Amino acid sequence: MPIIETHRLRKVFRSVERQPGVGGALRSLFSRQYVDKVAVEDVNLTMETGELVGYIGPNGAGKSTTIKMLTGILVPTSGDIRVAGIVPYQKRKENARNIGVVFGQRSQLYWDLPLRESFELLRAIYAVPRPKYEANMAFFSEILDLDEFMTTPVRQLSLGQRMRGDFAAAMLHDPPIVYLDEPTIGLDVVAKEAIRTFIAKVNEERGTTVILTTHDLADVERLCNRIVLIDDGRIVYDGALERLRMEYGTHRTLVVTLADTCEDLSFPHTELVEQEANVVHLKFDRRKITAEHLLRLVTERCTISDVSIVEPEMEDIIRRIYLEGYRTQAPTPAS
Amino acid sequence: MTAVRPYFEFAKVAFSREATYRFEVFTSIGSLLVRVYLFRMVWTALYFHNAGIRELTLAEAITYSTVALLMSLVMDIDQTRLLVSKLDDGSIAMDFMKPISVPLYFFSDGTGEVSFHALLIVPSLILALFIVHIQVPDPIVLCVFFLSFFLGYLVGLLMNFCLNCIAFWTLEIQAMQLIVTWITDLLGGEVIPLVFFPPLVQGFIYFLPFAAMYSTPVLIYVGVIGPDEYLRALLLQAVWIVVFGIGAVLMWRFGSRRVVVQGG
Repeated sequence: MPIIETHRLRKVFRSVERQPGVGGALRSLFSRQYVDKVAVEDVNLTMETGELVGYIGPNGAGKSTTIKMLTGILVPTSGDIRVAGIVPYQKRKENARNIGVVFGQRSQLYWDLPLRESFELLRAIYAVPRPKYEANMAFFSEILDLDEFMTTPVRQLSLGQRMRGDFAAAMLHDPPIVYLDEPTIGLDVVAKEAIRTFIAKVNEERGTTVILTTHDLADVERLCNRIVLIDDGRIVYDGALERLRMEYGTHRTLVVTLADTCEDLSFPHTELVEQEANVVHLKFDRRKITAEHLLRLVTERCTISDVSIVEPEMEDIIRRIYLEGYRTQAPTPAS
Repeated sequence: MTAVRPYFEFAKVAFSREATYRFEVFTSIGSLLVRVYLFRMVWTALYFHNAGIRELTLAEAITYSTVALLMSLVMDIDQTRLLVSKLDDGSIAMDFMKPISVPLYFFSDGTGEVSFHALLIVPSLILALFIVHIQVPDPIVLCVFFLSFFLGYLVGLLMNFCLNCIAFWTLEIQAMQLIVTWITDLLGGEVIPLVFFPPLVQGFIYFLPFAAMYSTPVLIYVGVIGPDEYLRALLLQAVWIVVFGIGAVLMWRFGSRRVVVQGG
């Protein structure tokens, strides 16, 4: 049985439409016009226990709205939603015991308290037995290096420290499901790595089901097998990360360093994207021309001193999908 | 037991949070003493020029003001204002994601905050006694006073909670709160004892919730409300608790459904 299940999930926000200018602002005091904005439309999402899914999409695509409905703080406009057999907005408190949440932009730690006391408070809230609490803290401290700032008030923590604290806080009660909403936003490389290791470890060792939303595709590549792509409120892709790369990563770049000047750099199915002194970037469609064939054509015409092939970045693939839409390119995946 | 534990902890946290603002503690006691002294001067001057009234002697008027001011240490706190700021910055989302009753969380936080300020009453009272002399009624009256004080506190707590819930719809309630504060100041009897109002007006304002907050307990303290009127006065306070209690439940039920977390 799937642990998370949504069926035709839809959320519409109603907001006041503002007229421009001072006159408009005054007018809106008396007569208001409402606009409905569809944030999430027809979202069908099914997750099995222990899955780690990357939920990605551009800003305003509906990621956070979906997560908020899964946590039970937003009521869907229509559609069904079940998390561990519970309808979240109907049984908010019961649902809360099953989930752990980390929002990169918010903290659930208590601002005025030292980190340790925040944890103690959470222990009381979730009624975590003392031995389990101690064991969890030991586990978290080891991966997240919490010890050095356990007694520091949360307001004085750096962003990286605070995030590490937030992760421990979200996992303290061993939730079977964890929602991570942009958890690596604004972090440096070291902190990001610590967080990624933590997510991977919790998912592997505890079988925690994880939904991860992020703009940093390195997170996704490192952690997720499956990604769900949402754009404009609709799911446009749901499947393996590899397949997306295969379908969209059709272009590679051949980087050649010329030993001598070379007159003509136009080759079939190839585009000259960049030329900097004697380093030339040639982007080619690997379905139409092989790297080996292209290289042969280049060496026939020019003398080269170095060569390398650049694989398509996941970033570029996603950017292409955002710009062009998924369906225009590849066949729609089944699911 | 485990069900009560978190709320007890919330109160404890709020208590120690208040205790960290030492400067505020000292200034609030300081300003209280200044006001006690000023009121003594004003009443003395008024009575000297025969502007006083029959129902209240000078000593009683000074006692009234001092007791009302001491009560304000507790009464003037908007215990649930946390709700408004959390709605404004959206951090209320994190509270809704916890297995707790969110309104009880706000009440616990407020209780912790108020408990700390209640402790301040003792040193303030001792210091105030150096400035003015106040009358102390007999133990039975004192007991009724404390009961009425507690009921008045609940009226204020629930009324403020209803006001704060308006923020679910408007996000901003500052102007409305100011208006209510002014009305409370005027009609609650904190500054001017309600017995100073014309008899016709008095009959009306005693029935308002504002009088139930300050005026009723203090008038019991100074003896203007006598033993034969205790029951009626306390019942009226209870009525307002029920009214605002029902209001609070309804406001919360409909308001919390509207939570739209800003941003993110």
